Amino acid sequence: MQSNMFTDISLNHYLVLSSILFVIGMAGVLLRRNVIVILMSIELMLNAVNISFIAFSKYTQNVDGQIMVFFVMTIAAAEAAVGLALAVTIFKRFKEVNIKFFEHLRG
Amino acid sequence: MTSDVFLFWFLALLIIGSGLAVLLFTNPIYSALSLAMTMVGVAAVFITLQAFFIAGVQLIVYAGAVMVLFVMVLMLFDIKAEVQAFSSGKISGAIKLISVGLLSGLIVGGIIMSQKSFVGEMTKDAVHMAEIQKLKKSTSPDASSKELGMVLFSKHIFGFEALGVLLTVIAVGTVALARSRGGTHHAK
Amino acid sequence: MGQDVFEITINCIKLVLIFLMMVQAVPVLVWIERRGSAFIQNRFGPNRVGPLGLMQLLADAVKFLTKEDFAPDKAIRPLFYAAPIFALIPATLAFAAIPMSVPLEIGGYVFKIQGYDMNVGIVYVLGVSSLAAYTILMAGWGSASKFSLLGALRASAQVISYELALGLSIVGVILLFGTFNLTEMIHAQQGPLSFKAFGHTISSAYIPNWGIFYQPLAAIIFFAATFAESNRLPFDLAEGEAEIVAGFHTEYGGFKMLMFFIGEYGHMMLGSALMIIFFFGGYGIPWVSVEDVRQWAGGLTDSAATISVITTLVHFLSFMIKFVLFLWIFIWVRWTLPRFRYDQLMDLGWKTMLPWALGNTILTALVIFLVS
Repeated sequence: MQSNMFTDISLNHYLVLSSILFVIGMAGVLLRRNVIVILMSIELMLNAVNISFIAFSKYTQNVDGQIMVFFVMTIAAAEAAVGLALAVTIFKRFKEVNIKFFEHLRG
Repeated sequence: MTSDVFLFWFLALLIIGSGLAVLLFTNPIYSALSLAMTMVGVAAVFITLQAFFIAGVQLIVYAGAVMVLFVMVLMLFDIKAEVQAFSSGKISGAIKLISVGLLSGLIVGGIIMSQKSFVGEMTKDAVHMAEIQKLKKSTSPDASSKELGMVLFSKHIFGFEALGVLLTVIAVGTVALARSRGGTHHAK
Repeated sequence: MGQDVFEITINCIKLVLIFLMMVQAVPVLVWIERRGSAFIQNRFGPNRVGPLGLMQLLADAVKFLTKEDFAPDKAIRPLFYAAPIFALIPATLAFAAIPMSVPLEIGGYVFKIQGYDMNVGIVYVLGVSSLAAYTILMAGWGSASKFSLLGALRASAQVISYELALGLSIVGVILLFGTFNLTEMIHAQQGPLSFKAFGHTISSAYIPNWGIFYQPLAAIIFFAATFAESNRLPFDLAEGEAEIVAGFHTEYGGFKMLMFFIGEYGHMMLGSALMIIFFFGGYGIPWVSVEDVRQWAGGLTDSAATISVITTLVHFLSFMIKFVLFLWIFIWVRWTLPRFRYDQLMDLGWKTMLPWALGNTILTALVIFLVS
C-alpha cells in the first residue's frame, strides 16, 4: 500500500519537524548578536531534541525517552537560570548585551 | 483527513512559524514571546504523542517559568530593537548560513534515507496497528504517569539524584552570581 | 470528543456553556463584591439601579462598552491590544478542566459536566494557569508607562514565587489520593472519614472523608497561594494604588480593563474550584453518597434519564454552594486585610510557605510509607 505523505503521520514527520526546529535554533545561535536571544535559541534547540525524544518514545513504546525529556528540561531550566544570571551581572556592569562586546573581555 | 493529521500539520506550521519568528524579530521582547508560543506548541505536540504528563511539565517549566524569566530580564534591561541585530561580515555570515543549510540538509536527508531501514520496519502497517492497539490499552487513566514514575525512580534513579545535586549547585551559584558586584574588572 | 454527530454537538455546546458561565459570573461577582464591601464597611453600596442595585451590572456593562477606545501615544500597539485578550485565555482553559457534577447519562450517552477529562488534570491546570504571567508582562511592557512596568515586574515575580508553594502544597494531596485526575480525587473523598493505619481501619461516621482533614497545612498554604496567584488583596502588590497608581493596567480603560477583570475573577473562580476539589470533596455532598441521591431520585420518578438529570443537578447545586462560599471568602478577605509590603510578600512566599510546603510533602510521604 502506497502511504500518503500528507495523511499518514509517521515517526519521520516528527523527526523532520524536530530537525527543522533544531536548525532554526542553530541559525539563531550563529546569526544573532544579542546574548539573551542566543540563550533563547539554545532553548529552541533543546525543545527540538525533546520532540524527537517523545516521538521515539511513542513509536518504540518505551518510557525511557520521556525520562530523558525530563532530564533535558531540568538541565535547560538550570542553564537558563545561570545564563540569565550571567547576562544580568554583565549588563549591570557594562550596559551591553551584544556578543561582539565580549570578545574584548580579558581575564 | 482525520483530526490527528490536521492537528499535526497545524502544530508543525505553528511551531516552525513561531520558531522562525524567534530568529527574525529584531526586538528581543517579540522573540521571547514567540519562543513562549513555540513552547506551548511543543507541549501540544507532546499531547498528540500521548505524553500528557511531560506536556504539563513542559507548560509549567518552560512556558510558565523559564520564558517568564527571559521576558522579565529583557524588560529589566529595557532593550529596544537593536540597530544591528544580526552579525555582520559577508564571509563569516556566508559561512554560517552555509553551515546551517548543510546541517539541515544532512538531518532531513538522513531521516528520509533511513525510512527504509529501522523506521520503515516500525511503520509497516501491521506492526503499526499492533502498536496502536497496545498503546490504547496501556494509556488507561494514570497508567503512563505511573509507569513514568516507576521507571524514573528505579532504572534512572542515579540520574535523578545527580540532577538533584546539580540543581542545588545551580541554585547556590545563581544566587552567588546575582549578589556579586559583577565581572572580574574594576569599574573605571 | 464523541462517537457521533449528536455527542460531538452536545460536547461543543458544553464547552461554550462553561465559558459563558465563567464570563457571566463576573458581573454577579462584581455586584457581590461592591455590595459586600459596602456591607463590611457599613455603607450602602450601589442600590439605585433596579432592586438591590442588581441592574447596576447592566449599567456598568453599557458604560464599559461605550467608553472611548484609548491607547497611550507611545504604547506598543500589538502588545497593548493583545494583552487583554490573552488575559482571558489561561483562566478559561483551566476552568474547563474542572469537574462540576456527576456525569449525565441519557439514552446510552454519557456527558461529563466538565470541559474535558484529563488523566493529568492537575498538571494541566497548573501548566495552563502559569501562562497568566505573560498577560501581565505584555500589558506592563506594552503600555510604555513606568507604573505599568513596575506593576508587571512585581506581579510576575510574585506569580512565579507563589507557584512553587502552590505546586508543592498540592504534592501532598496527590500523594494522599494517588492520582492526578480531578474526578478520581472527588471519588476518593466520598463517604465518612476512614483510613487504614497499621492494618486497622479507623473511621468516624460524623466527619466527611475530605482532604482538609488529612492535609490541613496544605489547605492553608494552597489557599494563601491562590490569593497571590490571582493578584487579590492582601497580595495585590501588582496594583498597589498608593504606590504605583494601578499597576499593570494603569493605562487601560473601558472594555479592555473589563477583560483584565474577567481574567482576575477567572483565576479566583479557578482557585475556589480547586480548593473545593482538593480539600472539600468537590461536588460530593457530605454524609450522602451519589448512590443515595440516585435512590432518592428513583423514588420520585421511573425514567432513568430523569433520575440521572436530578442526580446531576443536585450535585451541581452542592458544587455551587461550596463554590460561592469560597468566592465569598475571597471577597471577604479582600475587604478585611491590609496589603503586605513587597519584601514581606517575598519573605512569606520563599521563607515561610515554601519550607512549610516542603515539610508537609516529606511528612505526608513518610506517614503514607509508614502507615501502609
